Amino acid sequence: MIMPIRCFTCGKVLASLFEEYKKRVYIEGEEPKKVLDDLGIRRYCCRRTIISHPVFMKDGEVKELIDEAAQYE
Amino acid sequence: MKIKFLELKDNYAKILFEDTKPYFVNAIRRTLIADIPKLAIETVTIYDNTSALFDEIIAHRLGLIPLPTHLDLLNFRKECSCGGKGCPSCTVHYTLSKEGECIVYSGDLRPEDPMWAVVDKNIPIVKLLKNQRLILEAEAELGIGKNHAKWQVVCGIGYKYHPVIEIDAEKCNLCGACVEACPRDILEIKRKKLSIKKIENCILCKSCMEACKKDAIEVWGDENRIIMQYETDGSLTAKDALKEALKILHKKYEELEKIL
Ligand code: SF4
Ligand code: SF4
Ligand SMILES: [Zn+2]
Ligand SMILES: [Zn+2]
Repeated sequence: MIMPIRCFTCGKVLASLFEEYKKRVYIEGEEPKKVLDDLGIRRYCCRRTIISHPVFMKDGEVKELIDEAAQYE
Repeated sequence: MKIKFLELKDNYAKILFEDTKPYFVNAIRRTLIADIPKLAIETVTIYDNTSALFDEIIAHRLGLIPLPTHLDLLNFRKECSCGGKGCPSCTVHYTLSKEGECIVYSGDLRPEDPMWAVVDKNIPIVKLLKNQRLILEAEAELGIGKNHAKWQVVCGIGYKYHPVIEIDAEKCNLCGACVEACPRDILEIKRKKLSIKKIENCILCKSCMEACKKDAIEVWGDENRIIMQYETDGSLTAKDALKEALKILHKKYEELEKIL
């Protein structure tokens, strides 16, 4: 739906890092491994939470499920 | 016992304890996880929410936002002289009011005093379309990790024994199988000798021992030297969290001594 604020397993705050990840991986096409390393996400629990968060492309923008659901109050 | 910071940043610490025992370091670890107080949003009053997320989900997301914690200024609400009603020495108020089209960020939470302003201002809470609104009031109070994960200051805390690698130069024929096998790139062959690079990075996986056909290398953990590392969520710095944990442990032992 929308990026979870923290890693489910360890509790590290991830939602604020996901914005940059989204831009660099899904728009600029960088290697996820490199971006995760740059962002200082070391544990595999956090890496899992980020790479498995579903997004889709629409009109050249990265969208999350919330963008679709937002139309229904 | 000796303590050395191998690495210390605002929100990250890697510490070497020497001349110690695992049960002692484990007591510190558990205190860090479960017993240090920090501030988090506990009560949310929602006046208007026409976003796609339920009130409960928004309240939950607000609770998980790390807030700056000045422990010297706050009491636990239950133990406060106000009797739990909520007063400036136990409760911090925030307000939030936003209308779409926009993303509501943690930075939109307005504290009553700027010193309580959210540290990480870029955490998205919800997205709003045109004409959608979110108006709410939130109260934050102190709590501990034992009661809810939102009050847990440290994340990803763990410790390991300091690695010891012993190479028997007489048996070793410099075949390089162990260098190949090591996942952390600890070993190298340099000037006809097998040598060790950054030993702290060794994860004690023993792949090198398995790879060696000559039985020339041995790895084990020294349980008197322990490396601990952890991150904090930003509500306290890594160093303050450790200080607070030691203070709490100390108090507990003192209480125990009094009872005896
Ligand atoms: S135990 Fe594992 S990490 Fe350590 S040196 Fe051997 S192969 Fe490398
Ligand atoms: S695998 Fe054994 S024999 Fe070969 S280089 Fe390593 S320690 Fe020496
Ligand atoms: Zn994690
Ligand atoms: Zn009070």
